[in-house]
Amino acid sequence: MKIKNHLATAALTLTAMTLSANVAYAACATDDLPDSMDGPGGFPERALTMIVPYGPAGGSGQVAQAMAEAVTELTGVAINRDHKPGGSGSVGMTAYMAQPADGYSVLEHIDDAASAHALDSSQPNPAEDLIPLVTSQITFSQIYIRANEDRFTDWDSFVEWVKAQDGKATIANVSKEGSMERVNMKFITDATGMKIQQISFDKGSPRYGALAGGQVDALFEQPGDVRTFLDAGTFKPILTLLKEAPDVFADVPSLTDAGFDFEPLLRFRGFYVHKDAPEDRVKWLQWAFQKAYCQESYQKYNESKFMTLIESFRDTEGSRDLITSTIKLYRDVYKEMGLSAN
Amino acid sequence: MNVIDNFIGGTFALFSDPVGILVFLGGVLGGMLFGAIPGVSMLTLAAILLPFTAHLSAEHGIMLFSVIYCTGVYGGAITAILFNIPGAPENAPTAFDGYPMTQKGQAGKAVGAAVMCSALGGTVSAIVMMVATAPIANWAISAFGPPEIFALVFFGLAVAASVGAKTFWKGWLSILAGLLIAIVGLDPVGGIARYDFGMPYLLAGIHFIPVILGFFAVAEIFVQAEKKVTGSFKAPKVGVAFPSLGELLAHKIAVVRSIIIGFFCGILPGIGATLAAFMGYNEAVRWSKKPEEFGTGKLEGVISSETANNAATGAAMIPLLALGLPGGALTAMMVGVFQMHDMEPGPLVFLTSADLVWVVFAAMFFANLSILLIGYLETRTIINLLKVPFQFLAPLILMLATIGAYAVRGLSVDVVAMFVAGVVGFFLRRSGYSLPGIVLGLILGRIGEQTFAQAMQMLHFEWTGFAGRPIALALIVAGFLTLLSSIYGAFFKKRKTSDA
Repeated sequence: MKIKNHLATAALTLTAMTLSANVAYAACATDDLPDSMDGPGGFPERALTMIVPYGPAGGSGQVAQAMAEAVTELTGVAINRDHKPGGSGSVGMTAYMAQPADGYSVLEHIDDAASAHALDSSQPNPAEDLIPLVTSQITFSQIYIRANEDRFTDWDSFVEWVKAQDGKATIANVSKEGSMERVNMKFITDATGMKIQQISFDKGSPRYGALAGGQVDALFEQPGDVRTFLDAGTFKPILTLLKEAPDVFADVPSLTDAGFDFEPLLRFRGFYVHKDAPEDRVKWLQWAFQKAYCQESYQKYNESKFMTLIESFRDTEGSRDLITSTIKLYRDVYKEMGLSAN
Repeated sequence: MNVIDNFIGGTFALFSDPVGILVFLGGVLGGMLFGAIPGVSMLTLAAILLPFTAHLSAEHGIMLFSVIYCTGVYGGAITAILFNIPGAPENAPTAFDGYPMTQKGQAGKAVGAAVMCSALGGTVSAIVMMVATAPIANWAISAFGPPEIFALVFFGLAVAASVGAKTFWKGWLSILAGLLIAIVGLDPVGGIARYDFGMPYLLAGIHFIPVILGFFAVAEIFVQAEKKVTGSFKAPKVGVAFPSLGELLAHKIAVVRSIIIGFFCGILPGIGATLAAFMGYNEAVRWSKKPEEFGTGKLEGVISSETANNAATGAAMIPLLALGLPGGALTAMMVGVFQMHDMEPGPLVFLTSADLVWVVFAAMFFANLSILLIGYLETRTIINLLKVPFQFLAPLILMLATIGAYAVRGLSVDVVAMFVAGVVGFFLRRSGYSLPGIVLGLILGRIGEQTFAQAMQMLHFEWTGFAGRPIALALIVAGFLTLLSSIYGAFFKKRKTSDA
């Protein structure tokens, strides 16, 4: 129970930050930043390199591309993306940490970097070993079923049906133990007492195909990633993993509506620079990436990915708070799950 | 007749628009060029072009990518045949027989077969795509889940064990070596690190492209260099003779079989053209009366591989367009092109953007046909590269292979893996082990492990669950029969022969 209280407090901080950000940044978060800024000593004199620890086609690859284009539109500085996929982001992180800390290379990363540090403190802490330039996407998860499903039609009937299957029901999820998705599912199964077999898919397409083709009974995913299926009416959300449902999903029960009292973990993606990079260059990079967040092209991209339903923007300090709270949350959960946390 | 009307409409829209024609031609030539240069691939070109598609219309942007896909898959066959360097992973099996044909002075014949079969496989696939996209896509994802894909992999491995090895044991040891390499890195189920020896870069696993480049390109340089030193080197004869119609007709069954295999692999999300090429090649070996001739320069090997990989291109568009499910990296990038134009691929595309879909279909059809013409010209010219003396060609090949290995993931560990594979391949070639078997073990090992784990989770860890899925059961039975038949061929048949 102590852990549960711990989780609730830490997660409350996250939710409060998200909601307050919502109010504070009704128009666009960085409208008050100057429209232009001279780089220190002519910096950058050449193109920047952005290391992306995932492939070009996934969520990280796409947000990296959208942000790189927005920064280039704003500053005229080209950004070369260097994808180094593998090891759940650890390969890209290692490659980035080996780069010269001169401000010419930046890193895209997701909340996996925080959970990796929570699990193994020898991994870089994104809030301390790196300087967050901006967090540009924060999103929540949902549980989906096929729209033409007739065995269950909503969250309550789904839970009832799953319980009747005695562990035979299936849900497609990501593969990594201790990931945001797996931890959230643990919260759900613990709270409902239902047994559901999670089928591990490490790539999105086969995961969505598994639900569309009837290979699994449900899917755990973030709404932006399955927007096609939602727009086409193929998938239907039955639970939103937020305390309060956003307007777009007003008819989908939130955690509160469904009677859960846990705080959900969120997915976030952002951009970083090495902590030893020259301070004046870091300042310019902070300006460029935070201002680029409000470029029309980037906002359009975020909107297309349902990334504007909750406030997605965090500046450097906001990102640090988000990462630090998340690491604490994961550590507590890992202890409870018996995963080695140090 | 609705399909024909739509196709004519799409063709007219494509060729009545000067910008559309330019984009089409750019895609055809760009795909072939980037496909043919080791070190870059059609994916490289697609990644470079992706941001620029925002300035094109949705029709032109998506058409450009689909055309690059068709011709890029073919382009890699040229270097596979001429220099033993597959331009892309889907051309790796083409090198198994294509390069030995070059060494025999039959490069023209091999490239000609690749041209014709790529065009044929791709065109047929495009026609089926036009006729039945939606029903096929829905059938594929309903009928083929992880248990069926695992069964397909098992069947593929059982067949692959008989490819290129001197003995039954060496065939299976080669496959097992590939499977062993495939388990390096994070496991696909729980994300547990395996055999990384504390090196973070190994967490990404050993990618099969550096291994292919090492086994085939680097090892080949070593072999030729050794011959040069020992004075037994002979420059390959430059043959530009195309395969005759009779030769191609003699392989009509192989072509049809590879079209079916390629198409089938293409429609499965996450499988795609690489597995299609390997499966096409494997089945050619399995059905052959003289399987021992494969790997020594058999035209059927080139035909089977190149027909299958291009047949997968049209098929891969089916789950993308009908369901929004990309089958591989390039089709995943196409999703990005759709999104740049405020569209999403999926069932609604046929309703909201039917014109776009038919322009893309028509473009893919004509891109596959254009392989015939441009490929013919290419064959007449590019083969002359073989006249370049070995001492100039070898460093160039090594350089391109090194770039190719690094370009996969931008990791220097891949370059190291390539050279290690080159040395290992150099020695394994002399000992009767099967390099294609190791490569296939590596490729299928990853897919197989993941789908096996998924299948067991879906079947609640009950082996008998496979029996309740007819397609999976049929494939597993076929795999065991193949295994038994190779055991019989290796031991009992041999004993009978020696007794006699």
